[in-house]
Formats: sequence, structure tokens, C-alpha cells
Amino acid sequence: MGPSRNVIPDRIADALRRFPPFSMFTAAEVAALAAEAEVWVVPSGDTVWKQGERPGADVLFLAQGRVEYIWTNEGRSERVDVRDVGDVLGLTAMMKSEPYRVTAQAVEDSLFYGLPWPRFKVLLDQNDAARNYARRHMFWAVRVGSQIEYSEPTESSVAGRAKNILQAHLDGAQMVQPRPLDRLLVCQPTATIQEAAAMMAAKRVPSILVVDEERRPLGIVTSNSLVKHVIVEGLDKQTAVTRVMAKPVYTVSPNSSATAAILTMLRERIGQVVVTEDGTPKTKALDVCTHKDLLAQSGHHPAGLLREIRFAKSPARFRELCDELETIAQSYLDAGVSAIYLGQICAELYDELVQRLLTLSIDELEDQGVKLPKTAWAWMSVGSDGRREQILRTDMDNAMVFASTGSAESDERAREIFVKLATLVIDKLVAAGFARCQGGVMALNPRWCRTELEWIEEIESVNAFTDGNGLLRATVLFDLRFVAGERALCDRLREKIYSSVGANLPLQHRLAELIVDSTPPLNFIGRLVVEAFGGGDEQFDLKSRGMAPLRDAARLFALHYRLNRRHSTGGRWDELRRSVPERAEVAGLAREAYDFLLRLRTLNGLRRGDSGRHLDPESLTKLERAQLANVFDIVRTVQQAVKLEFQTEAKRL
Amino acid sequence: MKWWFSRKPREPFIESYREKTSPRVPSKTPVAEMRFLAIDAETTGFDLVKDRMLSLAFVEVIGGRLRVSSSHSWLIYQPAVPLSSAVSVHGILPAETATGQQEPDVLRELLPRLEGAVLVGHHVGFDSAMITAALKRHFRTSLKNPLLDTATLAMDALDAFAKTGYPGQSTPSLDEVCAHCGIVPVDRHTAEGDAFTTAMLFLNLCARLQRNIGRPLRAGDLPLAFQ
Repeated sequence: MGPSRNVIPDRIADALRRFPPFSMFTAAEVAALAAEAEVWVVPSGDTVWKQGERPGADVLFLAQGRVEYIWTNEGRSERVDVRDVGDVLGLTAMMKSEPYRVTAQAVEDSLFYGLPWPRFKVLLDQNDAARNYARRHMFWAVRVGSQIEYSEPTESSVAGRAKNILQAHLDGAQMVQPRPLDRLLVCQPTATIQEAAAMMAAKRVPSILVVDEERRPLGIVTSNSLVKHVIVEGLDKQTAVTRVMAKPVYTVSPNSSATAAILTMLRERIGQVVVTEDGTPKTKALDVCTHKDLLAQSGHHPAGLLREIRFAKSPARFRELCDELETIAQSYLDAGVSAIYLGQICAELYDELVQRLLTLSIDELEDQGVKLPKTAWAWMSVGSDGRREQILRTDMDNAMVFASTGSAESDERAREIFVKLATLVIDKLVAAGFARCQGGVMALNPRWCRTELEWIEEIESVNAFTDGNGLLRATVLFDLRFVAGERALCDRLREKIYSSVGANLPLQHRLAELIVDSTPPLNFIGRLVVEAFGGGDEQFDLKSRGMAPLRDAARLFALHYRLNRRHSTGGRWDELRRSVPERAEVAGLAREAYDFLLRLRTLNGLRRGDSGRHLDPESLTKLERAQLANVFDIVRTVQQAVKLEFQTEAKRL
Repeated sequence: MKWWFSRKPREPFIESYREKTSPRVPSKTPVAEMRFLAIDAETTGFDLVKDRMLSLAFVEVIGGRLRVSSSHSWLIYQPAVPLSSAVSVHGILPAETATGQQEPDVLRELLPRLEGAVLVGHHVGFDSAMITAALKRHFRTSLKNPLLDTATLAMDALDAFAKTGYPGQSTPSLDEVCAHCGIVPVDRHTAEGDAFTTAMLFLNLCARLQRNIGRPLRAGDLPLAFQ
């Protein structure tokens, strides 16, 4: 072996490539970066840079050792973060070209590789994945005081996400598929407006195509143009349609991309495109598509699924649709969509699913000669489903309420039938891949299929002395949400919950105790969790240690301040932030933290094929661990807020 | 200055080197202002007269920072190289040196870079002596740079290797010191790899020494050897 020219850069490149974002670059790119690197050691106790200094020409890669970020404000110093092997330091200051916000101090002898920023920046600019990584993970982890600096969605990162979602759509995109010709509504140019409008009304479509003898499109009359010309301008209804039709028409060919057709419509600000045989106006028209038709066809889009759910019949098809929804959820999460929003999207779809299953099941019952009792009823979601947080088919939480029929016997008879109905629906849900609720929180359980009066009685009976199980049951119920049936029933129950619990301070105190009881896995200085569970092989319960306190606190605050407009935990924090100024800051932080946890949990669940609540610390990236530590810091802040709000109040009583 | 017989005048690069290189460093000079070259030579053996250098490499450390881009290495063509046991250490076969440069050419390229630098190496005295032997053969001159042996520096900076006063205490090897400092050696027994490893070791030891002393290092803190 002769001496190789590249021994030294290769060695540095190897060290770099073990860590993101360098692992996202090609070997040659990293080698070029390494060839210009500088290497130095900062002894323990020395500062790497001081707060307020301007960044130099290098980005720092920490190859060995440990560095702490110290934030000095009004004469007080606080350690705000720790960096260790594999971290890139000073990127925020470089990217924003602003002075360092914190002092970086080596707490062990630390070995740095200095990488030339201009060259590094070129690499970042060219590599979307690496840039997103840097944006999302690194800025996020810089915490100053109690404030976490979240990455504001800058224009380019929004564009990056949008591109990802668009790509997701294109990946699963479907072709424009013309429907049977008899659906196509056409008229000759000689027809009158009166005739055209009559046909539109009869077929209940928003437009009619004007064609020549060969069925080639000439123009299109839409309900909008009728409003404009006939109603507003007072054009005579006996005028020929050629006076009001829009032309030329935009045409697409069958089997072209549905997504592309939608984009054409958005760009041209039109509501319909015409499908012709070869995609030009010179051939026969086949179909007219509105953006709604296309959206449903564009694949990998929730709107498409919604339509499919409405038409599906067989259990296998429901299962397939739910599988597809999970695929979409994953691509959305990967693209950086907020888990809270995604939960809302999924809730809409699952609600649609339940409504469809209810319809099918009622039909089934009627076939068996069983008729539903003539009383108002409603299907409701409770627990996580009620909070619109069910992205995965982990388990179902549902319940039914029906109006009292007058006597106890007739109530029982009604309950029997409703339980039968619920059993059918839940069997179908299970076939679609949902797990039965282990706690029995299902409408087929007579305990969860009750009359309005029974429910109200139960709500009123919950108090500070209810035992643990009763309290758990109550909190599940507190998150109820209307899904199908008679909405007024659910609204009344919700109002009852808010008025009853909102006025019961001892009960609130009891609930607050439960929140404060669980300690987040953080040490005294707010770091640690991550290190403590970094090495061990035990798994970490994300739900009970992180999400539960945030979720319960949101519910408690919502009950306390009687903020009942929102169902989701994210929405509750939002509402609290807007309506209660003194809680605005903590609510904002808590929402972000909850979003992060929900996202982490869902991605973890998708990876492992379960609920995702048990997290293997090994599977986290270093920066996710840092974020997790910050999130737990927020959990602690929230618990502090709960303590102040409720325990002191309770003492006064 | 001619004395009793005339010498051939030295070549300009040697004059320049001798003029710009001071054999001593004032002890108050801050280490951050000094220029260090970590060097390493692979040779055919340990005999200064008979053995020859096969490859040579250095890495520059200025202002406490190792500059990767400044590193440089040569393979040296040795036509009359004896096949010795050292080949089994560095793995350079005599045939391979045929692709290398002539020794005088290497020295011509090397010397300007050595101007005003402190040479750092593990047992750097040997490498320096080998270069001097080559310089004497071709140019009738010798190295005059101050030397810093990382083995001696390790004995100063690390308690584990401190002088004990026992007779026969051997100086620590590069592998031993690296293991103690948690440095993973790069391509041992290639000139470039050893030069880099030595440079990393030097940085590491300086950091430890500075921590022990509690102020930025000065030349006087380092066990410099003057030739």
C-alpha cells in the first residue's frame, strides 16, 4: 500500500457521514467538504464562542466531546441546551447571519471539524432532504429560557412541503376517467336558455355543454353564467344559449392526470373541463368534469377516499380504504403536516365511515324484520376518537345515546335494539381493521348505550369522591363528539358536562391532581431524560408520560373556562390561547408539544404496526431526542400551571 | 564569509530556509501564534547511514487549527533500497517507490514549507535526523527547526505517562498515547496517516496541558527541543 493522497480527508468524511445531514449527501460531496476542513480541540471549560459574537466562516461539527449552550440575560446565566457528538453547531447563526444568541462552552475536551460555510450552504441548498432536516430539527432544538424557537414556516419550507404533498398525490394519482355517455348533458347551439336551464335543473348538474352535430364542444353554459346574464342582466330566457355560453372550452383527454387537470382549472379559474376523445375541441365530447369530480379521482387525496367510502359496500372494501387512509396519513406526516390537522382529516373520514356502516346496518336490521324504535338517537365518539386524534386504527371508543321513551321497560326494549345495531356496526369496524376497545368503551356495551336521562344522571354523579375507574370513565365521556343521528342529543350532553363540571371546583381539583401526579422523565436541570433512556433497552411510554398530562390539562382548562367549541386537544389549547390571555403562552407551547408527540407517536405506530405508544429510544435521531427533552420541559411547565390554577383555588374552598 | 577553502554556494531555497528558520523560539511566544508541522517519514530501517526514507508527509497546524487542505505527502524513489524487515511494517515495496519522486526533488519541495515551523512528531528526533541525513547527502545542510516530541509532551500532559524516576522507563508509543486520549489512529504506518494522528494527538495534548495550566499556552510550556 502506497500512501494515499486522501487518507486525511477520507477520515474526516467518514466521521461526518455517520451523522445527518451529512449522511444525506453523496460521498463525493462530503469528501470535498472534508478536504477544506479545519480541525481543532477546545479544552474543557473554554468557550467555543460567546453570546453576541458574529459567526466566523466555518460551521462547526462536534466530532468528540460535549458543549453546553449558556444563555445570559439580565445578569443571570442559564444553561439552555447541550450538544454532543455528531451535532452541527452554529448553523442557526450562519443561516440567519446574526450574532450567536448563546455562549457555547466546552464541558469536555471537544474536537471540532470546521467546515467552510459557503460550500456547506451550496450543498444544503441543493439537497431538499438535508435542508429540511436542518430547518426542522436544528432550529427547533435551540431553546432560550422557557421559550422554544419553532421553525417558522418560511416561504421555501412551505414550498418544500407543498411539493412533497403534491408528489404524494401524483404518486397515487389516477387518470381522468370519463363516465358513461348518458350522464353527459348537451344541447345544440340553437337551444334557448330556458331549455338549457330546464335540462340542468332536471339532471341536477351545474353546467350544460353546447355541441355541434358531431358532438364537438363549442362552449359551456354554467349556472354562474345563467345567474349573471339572465338574473342580473335580465336577458330574455328565449335567447339562444350561444349568447351566454363560455368559450372556448378547456379540454383534456381521457387517461390524462386528474391532478394536472385540477391544476389547469385552478390556473384558468374555471369550474369545469371537458373530456374529449383526443383532448382537443376537434373531437367528440365524452364528459364534463368539475373540480369535485376530479378531486375525488386524483388519488391519495382524502376527498377521493370520502367518495369511495360513500359508495363502498363490502367489508373488504372498507378495509382497503382504511389501509389507503393510513398510507396517505404516513405520506402527509413524512411531508411534515401537523398531526393535529391530520387527526381532524382522519376524523372526518372515520365519521363518514361510521355513518355509512350505520346506514348499511340499519338496512340489514330491517331485512331481518327489526325496526329501530321511534325515538331520537345519536352515535357519538368518545375518548381519543372524540378528540379527533385517531389517525391509526388503534382502538375504537364510541357510545350511543337515545331519547328516553317514557317507561323503564320500553327503554330496555329500545336499548336491546340499539345494542343490536351497534354490534353490527362494530363488527364491520373490526372487519375494517379497528381493534375492539379493551376497556369496553363501545356502544354495544349496554353501559355505553344509554338514554339521555341516564347519561345526564351519570354526568351529575361524577364528583371529587368518584373512584379512579369512575373518573377514567368520566374523562372518556367528557370528550364526546357527535357522529351520526340526532345532533341535538349530543349537544345537550356536552352542555351538561360543561355546566356540571365547570361549576364543580373540588372535582376540578381532583382532576388536576391526576395531571400533576405523573412526573415527566426530566431531571432537575431539565435535560436528562434523553440521556437516561438513551442507553437502556427498556421502552418508553410516550402516551402516559408525555401526551396524557397535556391532553388532560387541555380538557381540564376547557372545562374550567367552559370553552366547549373545540374537541381536539390541539383545538382546546388553541381556544385557551385565544380566550385566556394569562394562559396564552403556555397554551401555545403545549399545543406545539402535543403536536410533536402525536406526530412522533403516529409515525412510530406506522413503523411498528401498533398504537405507537411505546417508543424505542434507539429509533430516535439525536435531534428528536433533544426535541423530546424540550417537550417534556413543556409538560412540566403545563403541570406547574395546573398546580397554580387549581390547587391554590382548592385551598380557598 | 569564505574561510580557507571555497565552498560551492548553497542553492537559494536552502539559503532562504536557513535565513527564515530560527532554531529557538522565545518562551513567551503564545502557542496560538506558532506554526507547527506534524511530520512523519516511513523508512527502510533505523540506521541513519544505511537506511532511506520511502515516504514523507506533514500536516500543518496554525493558530491551534489543523488545516486539512495543507496536508502533503510524497512517495520517494529509492533505487538502491535494501529489502528489509521494515517493509512488513509500512508495506511499501521497493518496486512501488518507482512511482515516487527523486529524493532531492522531494527535499526541494519540503524545505520551503518547513521555514519557521516547529516540527511535531512522535519520536520526532528520528524523523528529523532522517531528513537531515538526506539533506547532508544532497545539499550539505541540516535541519534547524525546533522539535516537539509528542511522546515527551504526553509525559508532561498526561499523569499516566509522567516521569517516574525509575531507571529504564520507556517513552510511551503513539498507539499507547492515542488509546489513552481516545484517538482512533488513522491508517497507521502510512506517513500521511501517522502525521495526521500525531497532529490530532498534539491538539489533544495541548488542550489537556492548557486545562492543567489554566491559561493559554506559551512556547515555554511545551517541551521543545532545539537542535
